[in-house]
Amino acid sequence: MVLITCLANVAAQVGVGRIVGGNKFHYPVGQPELPAEEERRWRIALMEKALATLESKADKPTEV
Amino acid sequence: MPKVLHYLNQFFAGIGGEEKAGQEVIFLPQAVGIGNAIEKSLQEHGVEYATLVCGDNYFHEQEELALRTMRAAIDRFQPDFFLAGPAFNAGRYGIASAKACSWVRDNWRIPAITGMHENNPGTQEIGRHVFVLQTGASTASMAEAAKRFTALLELLVAQDPAGAEAFRAEHCLPIPRRFTVKTGKPDYVRAIELMLAKIHGAAYESEIPLIATARHTIPNLTVNLKDATVALVTEGGLVPKGNPDRLESSRGSRYFKYSLAGLDDLKCGEFAAMHTGYDTSMVDEDPDRIVPLDAMRELEKNQRFKKLHERYFVTTGTGAMPSKMAELGAGIAADLAQSGVNAVILTAT
Repeated sequence: MVLITCLANVAAQVGVGRIVGGNKFHYPVGQPELPAEEERRWRIALMEKALATLESKADKPTEV
Repeated sequence: MPKVLHYLNQFFAGIGGEEKAGQEVIFLPQAVGIGNAIEKSLQEHGVEYATLVCGDNYFHEQEELALRTMRAAIDRFQPDFFLAGPAFNAGRYGIASAKACSWVRDNWRIPAITGMHENNPGTQEIGRHVFVLQTGASTASMAEAAKRFTALLELLVAQDPAGAEAFRAEHCLPIPRRFTVKTGKPDYVRAIELMLAKIHGAAYESEIPLIATARHTIPNLTVNLKDATVALVTEGGLVPKGNPDRLESSRGSRYFKYSLAGLDDLKCGEFAAMHTGYDTSMVDEDPDRIVPLDAMRELEKNQRFKKLHERYFVTTGTGAMPSKMAELGAGIAADLAQSGVNAVILTAT
């Protein structure tokens, strides 16, 4: 499991293993200030990062 | 010479069973029942031991009267320590022990110790600062309970507060409840004082007990990502338009799963967030900002992973009790495992 959140320190404190920094807490995987297509590309890159994090080995809370 | 006053019910005082449950409060100037074992173990400290006996029904039916008689006995005997129990899983005695200990601690400021099983309803009546030793559910754990009472009393008699706190952490039940405490100061002053004490490394005690988080091992992916089914889960409250299952907008008590079959993108107006913990307007405008379906479909098409699970899971995390969230999380995990999902991406607000 990988968690996407902008509150990574809280997630690490409660023991979440894989943490990817999200954008804002009211849209962790959004970037509304960008034009729609750019936002989509940004989101694909973020999800690619989440997938790469899933593939990594983790034995303690790790923020990427 | 330290003085110990021990409150026992009719049964543990050896007076009788149910037929004696109406026994009114009596003061005995000696140890009785389990008190004998505790007194004996504390012999070298020269403890003076006395006992209050009260029938279980009498305490509950005549609580005011029972406490009045106890007050008179306490004022006369002037104990340094108050004990009640162990009550194991006995409900009436557990509640009475918890109430008596809380009342004594609040009124006389002396250490009050009780003991019971974690499922005893008495745990709901425990006040601040009362020690609640964890015991088994039945009298089979009597000897062990006596040892714990003795060990804690020894630390308190030796005036070893650090030792007593360490003992509390190891052998006492955590009481994860909030208590109303009058500090005579506005909350913001109290909050800043606590923060300053923390920064300066001084002693402080919050009114809100911290809830311990359960540690668990971090699972690694067991298959190649190319062969993995990946699921999307969120606590962000995203539901289909109209909120068909009435997901709560805070303190979610349930979780739901909604189909993503045939969808490549979550559209404004078709899904909306039920969540009072954040401004949902940006998510409502484009729900992919909380459940990133458009991006995941693209990566699925590129065969970065095998398949996106056909449903996403949702609950509302805001204001929720960690214990409830743990329960929902376990339910979601079991459901996902059964569906052959290998990995999860969880988005949280």
